[in-house]
Amino acid sequence: MEYLVWLEGTAFSVWMRESGLAFFSGLILHALGMGFLVGVHVVTDLRVLGVAPGVPLPLMKRFRPVAGVALAVVIASGVLLLVAYPAKALTNPVFYVKLAAVAAALLVGRSLARGILSDAVHHGGRPPGSAGALAMLSIALWVTAITSGRFLAYTYNVLMASDPF
Amino acid sequence: MTEALYEIGRQTGIHVLMNSAWGWPTVESLHFLGLSLLIGAVGLFDLRMLGVARGVPMRAFHRMIPWGVGAYALNVATGFLFVTSAPDQYVYNPAFQVKLALMAVAGLNVLFFYRFVFARVRNAADDAPAPRSAKVAAAISLTCWVGVIVCGRLITYYRPPYHWCWWC
Repeated sequence: MEYLVWLEGTAFSVWMRESGLAFFSGLILHALGMGFLVGVHVVTDLRVLGVAPGVPLPLMKRFRPVAGVALAVVIASGVLLLVAYPAKALTNPVFYVKLAAVAAALLVGRSLARGILSDAVHHGGRPPGSAGALAMLSIALWVTAITSGRFLAYTYNVLMASDPF
Repeated sequence: MTEALYEIGRQTGIHVLMNSAWGWPTVESLHFLGLSLLIGAVGLFDLRMLGVARGVPMRAFHRMIPWGVGAYALNVATGFLFVTSAPDQYVYNPAFQVKLALMAVAGLNVLFFYRFVFARVRNAADDAPAPRSAKVAAAISLTCWVGVIVCGRLITYYRPPYHWCWWC
């Protein structure tokens, strides 16, 4: 807890908490980034599951740079929000569920991109079952990430390490 | 107006759902899921018309749009649950008012797009850039939906200390 107390006391952490614009910008960017990050991944999953079968599977990879930019925004804004209230997230198990779900979802997304989306055989229509299972796992992981993220605002036990009660 | 909305929430059992343990955050999670799917379907179609992911056939990718419409319906429904549970937090809130206005602009843009633009988009070659009118409609759509998300996030973060509502 000592290093959390120290982090909360740094000028940058105080500014993130007390400047309404800084904290709000962090919230906005995090919401927008998550919207685009999840949007690109879930729509790619839907395509793998057979929606919009006329779109050649490899071309879905061309939306991945959008997800890349969104991920950068999500990480940057997430770090800023974490610096503002480090103890609030780091003492809450739900935060680690969210991190694990996002990390796993990104790995599944990369696996789909390197697998079925790079497959020379299955360009159109609905690909075979294993790819569909990965796509459904991806959707489940993003739902978990969103739900745990939203529940962070309701499940924390400690707001500030320097003022635990 | 707020009384009428509140009555709807009370009489339909919405308040029981929203005040139950984890009711409100669960509905918020659904609302965020809908937002992400709306961005994924409609937002990516807009980006494609603006030149991102060139080569993705616009006619074929348009088959994603019904999922965006479904997501929109989900968010109107979940949004209705919020508004009827705490109407005074929304009706008098400038962020909510601007959000509704942006949704109205996005709706008019949809009408404009399908009435005047879509036929040319549908008949375009896979690799062709979208016509200028499609790019304008796409830019309006993206701007509106990004603005809707910003305003939505602002509603719960900033609660105005005064009531500001010209129609009440």
